[in-house]
Amino acid sequence: MFAIRYDAAAVPVRSDLPEAHTRAWQRLAAPGTWWTGAERVAIAAETRAAASCALCRERKAALSPGAATGKHTSVSTLSDAAVEAIHRISSDPGRLSKRWFTDLASQGLGDAAYVEIVGVVSTVVSIDAFGRAIGVAPQPLPEPQPGAPSRVRPTSVGDNGAWVVMRGGGMGNVMRALSLVPAEVRNLGELGVVHYFGADRITDLGATGRALDRAQMELLAGRVSALRECFY
Amino acid sequence: MQGSAVDLGAVTGDGKPGAENGVVQGALLVAFAEATVAEDDAALARAREALRAALGPEALVDAAAVTSNFERMVRIADGTGIPLDAPLAAMTVDVRRDLGIDRYAAAANTPPPSRLAATLARWAAPLMPLVLRLAVKRGRPRAR
Repeated sequence: MFAIRYDAAAVPVRSDLPEAHTRAWQRLAAPGTWWTGAERVAIAAETRAAASCALCRERKAALSPGAATGKHTSVSTLSDAAVEAIHRISSDPGRLSKRWFTDLASQGLGDAAYVEIVGVVSTVVSIDAFGRAIGVAPQPLPEPQPGAPSRVRPTSVGDNGAWVVMRGGGMGNVMRALSLVPAEVRNLGELGVVHYFGADRITDLGATGRALDRAQMELLAGRVSALRECFY
Repeated sequence: MQGSAVDLGAVTGDGKPGAENGVVQGALLVAFAEATVAEDDAALARAREALRAALGPEALVDAAAVTSNFERMVRIADGTGIPLDAPLAAMTVDVRRDLGIDRYAAAANTPPPSRLAATLARWAAPLMPLVLRLAVKRGRPRAR
């Protein structure tokens, strides 16, 4: 069975990370809620392709992302709207806008399909970034699994101030942002536990159990967020 | 973590490069985060080795895990256009202004709090950790 391994790293990697990454890769390959397994793996391939896309580079360098026009260097048969979403979320997330999101919807990209794209792109970016940070090559993408997406849309979602509808409730918005596609929330939770903390420990400022203390972890988190110009 | 003085300029990049910031080996951690995001392989190799030498291999792995976690979280937050949670938005008016993060494009997703909410929030700020803990307990994810 396919498994992500970090044996090539110059340092030993605790086992919960490759185990969680392997499960994330298995979910990536399987049919999702709005996309097939093949489409989800194509979204992952486009996520990686954004790094060498000339239009993405030009936009990233421009004062306004709208100043650069043209076609993305695409590696799939996904729609133009899907490719635009994947490349922009991957390459320039800090300058996305509600108008941009609304434009994608007007091109036929449904809100739930879009949320699943956000989940897949962010997962692939994160696992690739982890590998790069410890000095190992990107993992090969998994073989897509057959089957149809479930197309189940939760009813307990509504307008809670985000571009996309999401669950209400006491959790922080970022924990509910993907709730239009519950499978992506579960994926977020499982990766969050091994990369950072579980949702129940995030607000415990004394939380430990890692080789870094909480202040060191928050410095890393804050610096990455600021470099990406993430307001949240 | 509470009660320690840290230089928040290290987070926004306004601190002195390489300077300590109140966090143990903070300058090395900042260099590691910056090299990861910049996709500068040579700088990342240097930062990785410096971090491993200073804090050990387990800390290097944890640093990689945290930085890559936030590469994920920023895309979720900015890709879905979520606003800052209302209590946090009200309590952080001053610190956001001081750090200059109100200029980020995604700030447009968060409506400014009313003057009353901001005043109350300043008064209640010391209770924030307790409020957040209660909110988390109340809102733990349920099976759908």
